Amino acid sequence: MNTSETDSELWLCLNFIHLPVEVFSRQQMETPVVVLNRQRVMSMNSAAEALGIRLASSMNTAYTISEQIVSFERDEKKEFATLEHLAQWAYQFTPSVVIRAPQCLLLEISGCLKLFRGLDNLKQQIREGLDKLGFTATVGVNGTPLAAQCFAQARLADNRGDIETSLAPVAIHHLQIDARILESLQQMGIADCHQLLALPLDGLNRRFGVFFTDYLQRLTGRKPDPQKFITDKPRFNSEISFLSDVTNLESLVFPMKRLLGELHDFLRGRQLQVNQFSFRLAHRSHPPKTFNVMLANPDNDPAMFLMLTQLKLDRIDDMPEVDSLSLTARHFSDMEAPSGDLFHGTRFQQKDGSRHSKAEAAKAVELINMMTARLGPQACFGLALANDHRPELAWRPVALNTRPEAVQFEETNARPLYLLARPSMLESAGDLPRMAGPLTLLQGPERIDFGWWDDGEVSRDYFVARHACGALYWVYRQLSNNQWYLHGIFS
Amino acid sequence: MTEPLNNLLKATGLWRASRIDCDYKRYPSSGFAALDAELPGSGWPVDGVTELLHDQYGIGEFRLLAPSLARLSQAQARWLLLVCPPYIPYPPALAQAGVDLSRIVISQPRSPRDYLWVLENALASQSCSAVIAWPGRILDKQIRRLQVASRTGNTWCILFRPEAAGINASPAELRIRLRPGQPRHDNSALEVRILKRIGGWKSGDIRLAFADQLHRPMPDFSELVVHQADATALESMTLPDTVAINRRTYEYQ
Repeated sequence: MNTSETDSELWLCLNFIHLPVEVFSRQQMETPVVVLNRQRVMSMNSAAEALGIRLASSMNTAYTISEQIVSFERDEKKEFATLEHLAQWAYQFTPSVVIRAPQCLLLEISGCLKLFRGLDNLKQQIREGLDKLGFTATVGVNGTPLAAQCFAQARLADNRGDIETSLAPVAIHHLQIDARILESLQQMGIADCHQLLALPLDGLNRRFGVFFTDYLQRLTGRKPDPQKFITDKPRFNSEISFLSDVTNLESLVFPMKRLLGELHDFLRGRQLQVNQFSFRLAHRSHPPKTFNVMLANPDNDPAMFLMLTQLKLDRIDDMPEVDSLSLTARHFSDMEAPSGDLFHGTRFQQKDGSRHSKAEAAKAVELINMMTARLGPQACFGLALANDHRPELAWRPVALNTRPEAVQFEETNARPLYLLARPSMLESAGDLPRMAGPLTLLQGPERIDFGWWDDGEVSRDYFVARHACGALYWVYRQLSNNQWYLHGIFS
Repeated sequence: MTEPLNNLLKATGLWRASRIDCDYKRYPSSGFAALDAELPGSGWPVDGVTELLHDQYGIGEFRLLAPSLARLSQAQARWLLLVCPPYIPYPPALAQAGVDLSRIVISQPRSPRDYLWVLENALASQSCSAVIAWPGRILDKQIRRLQVASRTGNTWCILFRPEAAGINASPAELRIRLRPGQPRHDNSALEVRILKRIGGWKSGDIRLAFADQLHRPMPDFSELVVHQADATALESMTLPDTVAINRRTYEYQ
């Protein structure tokens, strides 16, 4: 995908300067948190900074300053996962999002400025969104991806005009170039881009190699710079780590609410719905615990998500402590756009002839959701007819969110309202069945001889039988061995 | 005794207390005229707990409800919830009775706690037109909770209970005892007696006839012999093992 040819291109770079620490702390201000790399502090939050801890100091130094400091070992895998999550989050602003590891996101925003009513509004919204997520980023805007990234790192004002002019005052150490080249440039007495870009390209090419001049050309936009945008394979994964272990599962509700809110925004940005998501509770010294929340119908309602999650959470009793919580959703479906009621709450005749209001339908789904969440997906089901003459196969249980196709087959013979799951064998006296008393045959025989082509062949004579106590049963005689069975009850 | 009373009722503006509700509360018909005449509001209630007491499966206890279930399933876009039915509610028979199968939900909670949780939440959720359950043993206070929930949710709650439960009082609004009735012609019958109702005393035995033709005798061309139900067996009736009501105890806090 190459959009670099268009002149009006505008790039916004988000540089997550505190990413290593924010993957753990999510901007929790009160507790000082530091992240270590080879026993040295490489990132910290503002609380730690306020205490006077400096980068590259050792952990011992940090502890002498304060005992409350929480430290984590740097986790680059987690950083990249978080960056991917943030990229999916940024997808709500523009479809052209590029991940620039280790800590940058590039957004091509020329197409969405009008939607968000100008650059300032867009930046404002991005800032507010990131605040809510608990991440901080510096923002740079320029005409090429590399220049935007450079602006974000140097924290320079937005530029929407000529790229080369805007780059002129930038000091060269803000460019993403090799330390060796940087050093020789500085030795040459070159301090900013104005001087650097004035140098002849072929000379630079001879001296520093083709990669460097290629970089400069892409930086200034003289050469196209194709980017690999994230594909919108919708996948949601977000994680919150706790600074101290959580022992009371009920206190997980608040972070869960936060994650579900993120899921809601994610879904809304893509006009998707979800019918299944899973939470994972983990602790470093216990096996992790995952639980799924299933919905009868795809939905995007954070309040309902939370209620169902709480129902599930109440049933977890074997997780003594938790230090991180993550939410994953993989299977999505497109949001339906039902036409709204003009007269709210009134009932309309639907196409299929039924009358119901939307509120009623929503409540019906909610009950099923609650039951599946508490009892498990197998514990509640619907009924449907099936096209088969064998009584035990003339019906099937169906999931409640599926609408089975109509079966044309209409049974005209008497059928009992209760069917035994498996026929129970009856004693017999002479030719007649007995069941703690004689059974009188009333109606029949109805011969069902069916299914020789698959393995479930039946050949039976069905009768309505009356017990001495007045109950009516549906019994049959197996033709192969003349054995009587009880199969149903005319309740 | 009743003759002068009836004359008095006709001649003057007197009315029986049992008719007090009928003017403003008119419930949908049960499908049985003889039963409608006795039920308060001339039909099955639309909410509250109704207890059907019987000891024997197969006497027509579910067929008694079939016309109402068919009507509810077609008229309302709400669920008909069956909680732990003792046997499979057989879809072909339900379809024959006119029940819209897409409205039926079967729920099978495992533990007694879940059982009552499902009952109470389904009743209160306003998303069911009727909730039918077969609780083996259920406490008074539990029924009272169900009664409250069913009022909130505007949902009819039907509990099938053993006949012995009729001896004790219950918070249910309507309690009906069911016994097998003598079949007439080709049709089976059910003998019902209302044990408790709003605005009335116990009723006498009411005989309800089904139009099921189940007693149509078998044509006599097979070698099978048709036995008539003999009176002695009727008297010494015992519960067959296979269909004895599965009595479970549910505890609920």
